[in-house]
Order: sequence, then structure tokens, then C-alpha cells
Amino acid sequence: MSAPLTRAIATRLLAERLGNEVVVANLGQASFDLHAVADRPLNCYTFGAMGQCSSIALGIALARPDVRVIALDGDGSLLMNLGSLCTIATTAPPNYALVVWDNEVHQTTGGQPTATAAGSDLAAIARGAGIEKAMTVRGEDELQRAYDRILSEPGPLVVNVKVAKGKSESGLDRDVIGGPRRFIRALAARGRQSGAS
Amino acid sequence: MAGVTAGDPSWSKHVADVLRRNGIRMFATVPDSIVTQVLEHLGADAACRVVTVTREEEGVGLLAGAFLAGQRGALLMQNSGLGNCVNTLGSLNVASQIPVVLVISHRGDLGEFNPAQVPMGQATPKILDALGIRSIVPRSIAELEAQGDGLIKLAYTRALPVAFLLPAELTGGKLG
Ligand SMILES: Cc1ncc(C[n+]2csc(CCOP(=O)(O)OP(=O)(O)O)c2C)c(N)n1
Ligand SMILES: [Mg+2]
Repeated sequence: MSAPLTRAIATRLLAERLGNEVVVANLGQASFDLHAVADRPLNCYTFGAMGQCSSIALGIALARPDVRVIALDGDGSLLMNLGSLCTIATTAPPNYALVVWDNEVHQTTGGQPTATAAGSDLAAIARGAGIEKAMTVRGEDELQRAYDRILSEPGPLVVNVKVAKGKSESGLDRDVIGGPRRFIRALAARGRQSGAS
Repeated sequence: MAGVTAGDPSWSKHVADVLRRNGIRMFATVPDSIVTQVLEHLGADAACRVVTVTREEEGVGLLAGAFLAGQRGALLMQNSGLGNCVNTLGSLNVASQIPVVLVISHRGDLGEFNPAQVPMGQATPKILDALGIRSIVPRSIAELEAQGDGLIKLAYTRALPVAFLLPAELTGGKLG
């Protein structure tokens, strides 16, 4: 098995492979890392609405079936909105993937343990919700194979990534109005194609 | 509903038509016995997509995503569901100026038979006001038709949520 992953490394490995996919990032650490590693107009950072990252990404995927949408959520945040997994299963968008940075803590608020520290298994919960392509990955090799699938296979996919604890440094400013508008313009400018690419 | 004049049953088609003629095509809902009458019209329309969510807050997030991707959305729910949405309406829609149309059946007000509905029913207008969400309370189809288009136009001009709060006088309420 490879060395334990950090969220920053896992984010960089994804960013290196991105083309014109949309990436929606959870409030706090996930947005900080994504911004630090690869700020791009098709990144949708979030600043509040804990739990809603997967739902926001789902709305984008349903409204733009021609665009592949990848959500970068946190374990604590997904645990706040587990019903979202049922809605992902029910709507089953082929252009949708949910990546969860499962550090087993609420890192942003000081590292208090979440239920995954006690054994709650988000991939099993996703399968129970009806998402067949749901997996937990550890280490770079497994992660890269999961990214292969996210970037090529029809979704929905849920990839729960076990990552090390630790805070991120970021210069992401909390431009809660301008940030989303940059994203809206970039996505609107991305021409419509017949299938997700 | 006791003590309230029963609504004209065509109210639900008028609500569906106001939404559709203002370009709304994406709908999220946790149904109740009142908004389900609107959903029947929308569900029968191939141009409309209705997503049943598990909790109303999820619908707020989903429709925010749809707006970011260029689609207008409406959330159909009971006023009890407004309580389930408050944080996301505040920390996402209001903070980031993301409009959404809320279509809320108002239980817990005139003629209510279920005591559990009353506290949220009475708090509902104040919750909307506290978030700065402009709302209308159409008591007849004529009022709905007079105000509905303007309310939706305001939502997108101002880039903030708006609410249709549907009283028992319009919908006939739910009979106990
Ligand atoms: C509704 C709500 N409750 C609590 C908080 C405080 N809060 C902000 S981030 C966070 C933890 C998120 O945990 P997780 O999704 O695991 O992300 P991590 O910080 O570990 O990257 C909490 C509890 C909040 N912002 N909103
Ligand atoms: Mg966490």
C-alpha cells in the first residue's frame, strides 16, 4: 500500500487530469485546497450551506447533461445530507461523480471526530442508497484508478477517499458573490455538446 | 376547511402556468397534499423536470446548482419544509445572490386542525421576512394572476429568493 494520502495531494492528482469538467468544492478545506492547487473558472467554491456540496453539484449535472461534474465533499458535510445519496441514486445522472475527502474529522472546526471515525462507511451507505459504483480508496494507486473511472465511465460514482487529517492554507478570498458569477460565466461559455466529455 | 371559503380547484393549474410561463423548468419538492396538485400539472409536462428530494434543504442546494448552470428553478413544499431550508437559503442563496422561487403551502393558519402545524404556520411569514425574502400571499386566482409574474421577475432582477405563500383561501387547505 502507498503512503497515506493528504487531501492536497489527492486534489493535485485530480487537477492534473482535469480538462473542462466542472468541480464543485465543499466549504472550508476542500475549497481551500482546490483553490491552492488549481484555481480555474470552472471551479465552484462554496462558503456556507454545510452539507449541500453534493446537491449543488447534482443540480449542475441535471441542468447541463453535456458537462461532467465532480463534487469534492467532506465526510462531516455528507453525513449532514445523507439523503442526497438517495436523490443521486434516483436521478442517476451519468455525468456525476461525488468524491468525499474522508479525514474522519470536522477539520475546519478544529478536528472533532465524525461518525466515520467510529466506523460509519460512506461507500456502503451510498451503495445502500442505490449507487452501485461506490467505493472507498486508500493511497495514490487506488485513487488514480478511481479517477480513471470518474473521467471515463458513466456515473453516478461515489469515491470515498481516506485522507490524512490536517488543515489547508489558502488564499481563497470569501468573494461569495463574485466567485459564483465567475463560475456562471465560465460554464455558460462552455459550449453544449451531445454527451458528457 | 372549516371557517375558510373553499378554493376554486383550478388554482393549481394557474400556479403551474405562472411558473412555466416565466421560464421555470426545474422543480424540486417534498410533496404535501396541497402542492401535489401543482405537481400533477408539472409532472405531466415533458418540458419540466421534477425531482423529489428527501429534505427540502437538498432542493435548495440542487436548484442553486441548476441556476449556476443557467436554469431557473422552483421548490414546492409545505411551510414546515421552510424550517428545513433556512440555513441554506441564508448562507447560500441570500449570501451569494442566487435566486430561487419558493412555492409554499401554508398550513398552521386559518382553519388549521392539526396543533403540530400551528407554531411553524405562525412563524412562516416572519422567517421569510427575517431572511429578506419577498413573498406574496394570493388569496384568489385573480390575485395570483395579478402578482405572480411580477414576483418571479423580481427574483431574477434582484437575484434573491422569492416566495409564493399559498393560503387556505386559495387552495382550500387540507380538510381535517
Ligand atoms: C450547518 C452548519 N453546522 C456547522 C457548521 C460549522 N462547520 C463548518 S465546516 C464544518 C466541518 C465540516 O466537516 P467535513 O465536511 O468533514 O470537512 P473538513 O473540515 O473535515 O474538511 C463544520 C461543522 C456550519 N458551517 N454549518
Ligand atoms: Mg472531514
